[in-house]
Amino acid sequence: MLKQVMLEAVGNLLASRQRSILALVGIMVGAGAVIAMLAVGGIARNETLRQFRQMGTDTLLLRAESANGLGTLPQAVLEELPRTLPEVRQIAPFILGGGNAGHEGQVRSGTFLGVTEQFAAVARLTLAEGRFLSRHDRFEPFVVLGAGMARELSTPYARVRVGSQIRVGRYVFTVIGVLAESLQSPMMPADANQALFFSLANARRVISSPQLSWAVARLAPEADADAAAERIRAALAPAMREQSVQVQSARALIAGMQGQMRLFTLLLGAVGSIALVLGGVGVMNIMLVSIQERRREIGLRLAIGARRRDISTLFLAEAATLSVLGGVLGIGLGVAGALAFARMSGWAFSLSPEAIPVGAGVSVAVGVFFGFYPAVMASRLDPIVALRTE
Amino acid sequence: MLELEAISRSFRVGPAETQVLRGISLTLAAGEMASIMGGSGSGKTTLMNIIGLLDRPSEGAYRIRGEDVLAARPDALSGLRNRLIGFVFQSYLLLPRLNAWRNVALPLMYRGVAEGEARRRACEMLERVGLSHRTEHFPPQLSGGQRQRVAIARALVGEPAVLLADEPTGALDPTTSQEIMDLFLEMNAALGVLVLIITHDPGVAAQCRRRLVLEGGALAHDSARVPAPC
Repeated sequence: MLKQVMLEAVGNLLASRQRSILALVGIMVGAGAVIAMLAVGGIARNETLRQFRQMGTDTLLLRAESANGLGTLPQAVLEELPRTLPEVRQIAPFILGGGNAGHEGQVRSGTFLGVTEQFAAVARLTLAEGRFLSRHDRFEPFVVLGAGMARELSTPYARVRVGSQIRVGRYVFTVIGVLAESLQSPMMPADANQALFFSLANARRVISSPQLSWAVARLAPEADADAAAERIRAALAPAMREQSVQVQSARALIAGMQGQMRLFTLLLGAVGSIALVLGGVGVMNIMLVSIQERRREIGLRLAIGARRRDISTLFLAEAATLSVLGGVLGIGLGVAGALAFARMSGWAFSLSPEAIPVGAGVSVAVGVFFGFYPAVMASRLDPIVALRTE
Repeated sequence: MLELEAISRSFRVGPAETQVLRGISLTLAAGEMASIMGGSGSGKTTLMNIIGLLDRPSEGAYRIRGEDVLAARPDALSGLRNRLIGFVFQSYLLLPRLNAWRNVALPLMYRGVAEGEARRRACEMLERVGLSHRTEHFPPQLSGGQRQRVAIARALVGEPAVLLADEPTGALDPTTSQEIMDLFLEMNAALGVLVLIITHDPGVAAQCRRRLVLEGGALAHDSARVPAPC
């Protein structure tokens, strides 16, 4: 009996091919949208988490602010913090600026960072070659390059490497290290890949208005970020006079971004749901038309002994066939969409485990839900009226 | 076999009530071959719907093989139709996407007969109506007479008590029409099934041993009874 029902359902769908394809496209797009949305949401979430894993969730970013823009942090008090506050493990103040750098006739604009020797460890930077600045290099004409900057300043004949000469303004610096490629941290105000790292003293020479406005800190593993931020602010306050200090914690940023992501996913889910409902209405529409056309058939079936249940099963089988097929095609469409998104954004493709079952399940549920009303309507037909239909 | 007792049927359209059948009492025995004639509006379709268990009378009693069939609920009624009644329609009403044997087997499928068994019985019945060479054909590939034969095979495959035919020859040319009538007579004789034919055609009615005429919702003539003196 089940075999017969499925055979008839498929036969009937094939008989009205155009209508079936229309309904199929509706369900397919709906399911595809839901799956793509869930997958894209997952990809974006993974990407953010990866960035934070790079940066570390135990990081704080400090920024001094004065009435007319950025202020200056008290370097001496700042560098005492790891000794005075148990929550703070390391702290690295830095100067942020920018300008042009030249090598063998190549000129590129980049970010200039004036840093102390702790910066590499606090910002989790690793070296591809050479070494980072040390406390003994403060007045030496040394520079460390980010991976992207080193690549762009290289010429086919002279790759930038340890020992290369980099010209910045009137000064020539010797490269002592090149960083490994790193993800840009959402915390940091600059991308390390496109930066040149100088000692604080050298930075004051090459940056037009050098101010020690920034610092990045790493906390002890068990420290509470909000409490630590409060204590740092309090510790710095006496030395800040009219200025204030903004403290941003990675955890707060993560929480904010996760909230945003949830909202984003919810929004995408809503778009997908609307598409699915439209697909469902499409299924309902073609089922109602099909029932209208097949009233005599329904009447005949009732006359020769079909129960109401047999009639509704017949039409539900058609709706279910449509939505299962639409769901399967939708999975293909959704995964393809997510793949295209991953390729375009350059982010790693991953399929969140719930995407396919949720998308497929929802599309089948929608198809059956919208197929249910027409099926019940068909089964309630009066056989006499149905048989008399012209 | 088939007993109708004071059957009335009225329809309510708005405030007005129309009486379509007025107190029809009728007994038909197994193996009878009867025709019902009557003009438009005489109530013959309504009578057929009631006999075929598609409609319920407003008043009266109806028994098939001694079973009170008016007590049944809708789904049970489907079961009764499936077991007791075979329908043949003027427009055949075959399902175009099922081949001949699947069309014939349909009542058996609704009875829950396994596919192999249903197919064997359907092919047997197609052979009896002279279509053993057309079992795999689809209705659009068959002629009108052949389609009606498939429909008759479908009506008989479930071994019903009554074969109800509503204008079975109405869409056929005279030659084919006669072939179909011969088939009814043959099936009636061979299977002993009660055949009830509703028709406009006096030629068709004349071939039935018992002839009934409806007029204004009442039984005006029954050839089995002595004609009323006038």
